[in-house]
Amino acid sequence: MALLEVKNLTVEFGSEDRPFRAVDNVSYSVDRGEVLGIVGESGSGKSVSSLAVMGLIDFPGRVTADSLTFDGQDLLTMSPGKRRAITGKDIGMIFQDPMSALNPCFTVEAQIMEALKVHEGGSKKERRERTLDLLNQVGIPDPKSRMTAYPHQLSGGMSQRIVIAMAIACNPRLLIADEPTTALDVTIQAQIIDLLLKLQDDSDMALILITHDLALVSEAADRIQVMYAGQLFESGPADSIFAAPRHPYTQALLEALPERSEGHDRLRTIPGVVPGQYDRPAGCLLAPRCRYANDRCVAERPDVGAYNGRDVRCFYPLDDRGQPTGQTTGETV
Amino acid sequence: MSFLDAKPGVPLLESDDLVRHYEVSRGLGKPSAMVKALDGVSFTLEAKKTLAVVGESGCGKSTLGRQLTLIEKPSAGQLKINGEAVGDLSDREAKLFRRTVQMIFQNPYGSLNPRKKVGQILGEPVLLNMDLGRKEREERVRETMAKVGLRPEFYGRYPHMFSGGQRQRIAIARALILEPKVIVADEPVSALDVSVQAQVLNLMMDLQEEMNVAYVFISHDLSVVRHIADDVMVMYLGRVAEKGPTEEIFAKPLHPYTRALLASAPKIDPAHRVKAEPLTGELPSPINPPSGCAFHKRCPFATDHCAQVRPELRMYEGREVACHRVEEIA
Repeated sequence: MALLEVKNLTVEFGSEDRPFRAVDNVSYSVDRGEVLGIVGESGSGKSVSSLAVMGLIDFPGRVTADSLTFDGQDLLTMSPGKRRAITGKDIGMIFQDPMSALNPCFTVEAQIMEALKVHEGGSKKERRERTLDLLNQVGIPDPKSRMTAYPHQLSGGMSQRIVIAMAIACNPRLLIADEPTTALDVTIQAQIIDLLLKLQDDSDMALILITHDLALVSEAADRIQVMYAGQLFESGPADSIFAAPRHPYTQALLEALPERSEGHDRLRTIPGVVPGQYDRPAGCLLAPRCRYANDRCVAERPDVGAYNGRDVRCFYPLDDRGQPTGQTTGETV
Repeated sequence: MSFLDAKPGVPLLESDDLVRHYEVSRGLGKPSAMVKALDGVSFTLEAKKTLAVVGESGCGKSTLGRQLTLIEKPSAGQLKINGEAVGDLSDREAKLFRRTVQMIFQNPYGSLNPRKKVGQILGEPVLLNMDLGRKEREERVRETMAKVGLRPEFYGRYPHMFSGGQRQRIAIARALILEPKVIVADEPVSALDVSVQAQVLNLMMDLQEEMNVAYVFISHDLSVVRHIADDVMVMYLGRVAEKGPTEEIFAKPLHPYTRALLASAPKIDPAHRVKAEPLTGELPSPINPPSGCAFHKRCPFATDHCAQVRPELRMYEGREVACHRVEEIA
């Protein structure tokens, strides 16, 4: 059984009669020892869906799901106290900006020891030793002297290592990393991703890597899901999803990358922008920007269907040549 | 207007050993320290070309942009336009120079005044720099808006009504409206999504074609740089590590730091991936830079010589490299 199982997760904000769906019926699962990559542009709902898993969506946001289970336990129906015992211990999370994820008023030591105190207990001496261990584990040079440092004394890469140390302090079985390297330089990004993958490999932890960087996720993840405007558009194994995209959006995203258009003068663009709260189309959410869209796409909203070993939300998934299938006859595949 | 006319054989913009040091206080009673943000940077830029400046945060690439636009005065060194030293210009001429060198900032959410309408934002540079009547000014604003792909009815709208990509178009229009010869773009697409980033990059390339403008493109995204730049200058701790034509640098990086940068950037195609040991450590503090070669503490090829003597920029295989061991490494 999968470690984390999410079925038809929906997150809504705003009034009951005209809600804004930030996440729209998203389903996925993560296994032990697996790296799941979630990619999407801003506003695609990738962060909100992981905050919902962590139980961090506050009123007036509404989280509903057919099921949201971690290791067989239903996270939605359990008592808040029990849920708190799981999040932060068995499920750890790393946030995007390390500078704002740390409390500027406390030392590194105090912040890591707090997580240990809440979930593991133990004497102060034990906790301090464990903290030193953790700093060693995340590759902080001269950890003894860094224990008493305040966040403002650390660089961005160093702060992110501290945040990682906090997240793995209680040996989580699932780690959610939300844009862990977006605020960092490329050389530091490579170090942090290597560190995350090493930790994940050592302890057979599951890792959800949320990012907007297609190249990063294609190097790090086992499975990838592409999100757009709150919906899951395509998911499949990392080695094939970018080699042969089945969804027109994935294809268009890849073509917009400078790496893919070497030797061309111009980049292929996707016209328009991601629809916001008030301009969501009635049919397929991509229809106004999709180069293959026809009348059916504008009128009806497609569901996620299995196609060639992928889950694709499109009436006309792409074939190996990158052409939509079945469009000439107008039939669904 | 003499210095604004192109002279044959003389580069449009030339930076000669540009230096910018900042004094920082280190607390009461302690002597203040010098941050060498820019420590002797030279380059030339021809009309209609794009020079990319690449490096990690803290390497001085934004400081360079501030010197080129005269937002700050360099501590030493000279900036020349069409062979004329900018330091010698009179106030009147300096104003003309500023008109010729415009800037696009990184964050389109921070660089546009939220209390002003698009028409005002774009009209202000014209009002200050050109002798045009109200009608002609509006005409010019609308023309420029059309050039960057903004609809004319946006004239009376406020910045908050636009998406990130459209805001960056407004910022580009503001830089273009005075018909500059050089545009310094400081990370113009790093705040944008992939699909929008492609639109803005295409626009910048089209405008270069149309208006013969030269770009100094400051970026940390190597795949973007490879696409847009003619020449690349890699900076490390205020100094140039390597400089040369884009294709050559990407095909065969010579400086160990350039190699590490290229290897660190993730690639989508497995065939493009370079497997290399990631760089250890972080950028050292510019207050207290390492002796000798600033990179030697992170460099896999460093020797004792590197720790003692600072390598100067020298020609090797048609480009400039600052490394003692480039012959052995290459």
